[in-house]
Amino acid sequence: MALIEVSHLAKNFGSFHAVKDVSFHVNEGDVFGFLGPNGAGKSTTIRCLLSLIRPTDGEIKFFGKSLNQNRSEVLTRVGCIIEKPDFYKYLSAQRNLEIFARISGKDITKRQIQEMIDFVGLNGREGDKVSGFSHGMKQRLGIAQTLLHNPDVIILDEPTTGLDPQGIIEVRNLILRLRDEQKKTVLLSSHQLSEIEIIANRMVIINQGKTIVEGDVHELLEKQSMNLEISVANPTVFEETIQRDFPSLTARLVYKGTYHIEMEEDIRQPLIQRLVETGCGVKAVIPKRSLEDFFIKMTEK
Amino acid sequence: MMLWKNTINELLKIATKIRSYIGIGALTLLILIVLFAMKADGKSYIGFVTASFEQTLSFNGKILNGNLIAFIIMQMLIVHVPLLISLVTGDLLSGEEASGTIRMLATKPISRSGIVLSKWIAATIYTLIMTVWLGFLSLFVAKWMFGTGDLIVLNSNGLLIIPEADLAWRFALALLIAFLALWTVATLSLAFSAFAKNSVGPIVSTMSVIILFTIIGTLDVSVFDAIKPYMFTTHMAAWRSVFEDPYPLSAIWESVIILVAHIGVLLGITLIRFNKKDITS
Repeated sequence: MALIEVSHLAKNFGSFHAVKDVSFHVNEGDVFGFLGPNGAGKSTTIRCLLSLIRPTDGEIKFFGKSLNQNRSEVLTRVGCIIEKPDFYKYLSAQRNLEIFARISGKDITKRQIQEMIDFVGLNGREGDKVSGFSHGMKQRLGIAQTLLHNPDVIILDEPTTGLDPQGIIEVRNLILRLRDEQKKTVLLSSHQLSEIEIIANRMVIINQGKTIVEGDVHELLEKQSMNLEISVANPTVFEETIQRDFPSLTARLVYKGTYHIEMEEDIRQPLIQRLVETGCGVKAVIPKRSLEDFFIKMTEK
Repeated sequence: MMLWKNTINELLKIATKIRSYIGIGALTLLILIVLFAMKADGKSYIGFVTASFEQTLSFNGKILNGNLIAFIIMQMLIVHVPLLISLVTGDLLSGEEASGTIRMLATKPISRSGIVLSKWIAATIYTLIMTVWLGFLSLFVAKWMFGTGDLIVLNSNGLLIIPEADLAWRFALALLIAFLALWTVATLSLAFSAFAKNSVGPIVSTMSVIILFTIIGTLDVSVFDAIKPYMFTTHMAAWRSVFEDPYPLSAIWESVIILVAHIGVLLGITLIRFNKKDITS
């Protein structure tokens, strides 16, 4: 069942067409990657999804119901972080959560707020003013605010922006917990393509305000050409073998004895067998079929 | 229900912001300064006013009393209190925009109109508290310091002496009309707040409108005569009419209607603007 359906969404700011024609759907239980280069219209689309911006055209449905006509009901079942979570700095973390809990559309007890503070690892700091929080702590508080009313759909717009590697891993693990333990549906916009590759099962790529491709992450990656990174002890023999036996392949030297090979067809087995036979001294073969390559290919078109 | 819950939130935010106490603190300080000055040198101040009547009238009793001090304070401060109020009310929507919390607020299941109305109710309560505080300090503290007595009012018709027994309802009505005027200012700055991304603009704009309208109101130029009766600043001093004898009831009602109409129109503009606004910050 599709929990989010976006059909032919468009948004103009005066004569500027920020979003021209974006369509996608997010199924129940998906961790859905929402990708696009800067200026593609991602943030505008997400703001339309959360009724921060009124679309010029198109339709948005949550749980099979029009967002426009059922705004309050829909938002009761949605939690979100838009870019960086901003809080009332002059209030404590607990007081901030109390404020947002009061208008979440659900009855949330102080105990539930404390449990959420514990869940995101801010216990002991709940009485501190947010003005003294680091970016990572604010991000965790933002996630607590997002989950406080136990939403069915969670929308995270660049949740790892500005976080250090430790913070990125924490957010990633938290999303994985939401997916695995709480079976939440997550729409995740991120520039961390490796992140999406690890945690998303479906994705859409938009560019210049239009949907480029949508589908299952692994199926989409399977369709693209296979790349290999091969490290050899004898580069001269390796280069001769490639030129003689696999003239259609291009081997690009990446580092001493390490080559990047792009192939249209999957000829890994005969290639490796031949390299071993000719005595190249194969030290490592790493398959490279990354979302990063796919993303660049899609957005360069 | 959601409106009520968010109103509690808005009152909580006002109560925990330092800027909310700047207004109350400044108001308290100003009144205390006036009280101190009157205590120290009030007799010569009053003597300066009554000197022209001393040839024809003899004054018995205590002229410099709490009622007179309260009347003087209200006249002096009603011009400055709008600035203190707009410090808070001008920040209500624009402050959320500046801090980014507007994104969090507008993605909750409360309607945009609900957000505006809850802020407006909170602004109204804050204005009411400021007015009551103004009344309490100017009336009760002044009476405690200077005692009580009849009120001598100097107006364009001459000198009017209002008996002490006839003053309680007049002060209550005057404060109510003053509250209406300040409520109009609070709604005006909230309206400006819906158009701005930080609180400086709404505060400066509110004060600019008050100054501009006040200047237009005092200019004796016929071209402005048609609009003067409809400018809210013309009616901000309507509370003074309560201290006339007989008091001009129809003029007071006219002022009340014009101030309430301003509040309604300004609130309507705020609602339309905020409902149509794309939140891109």
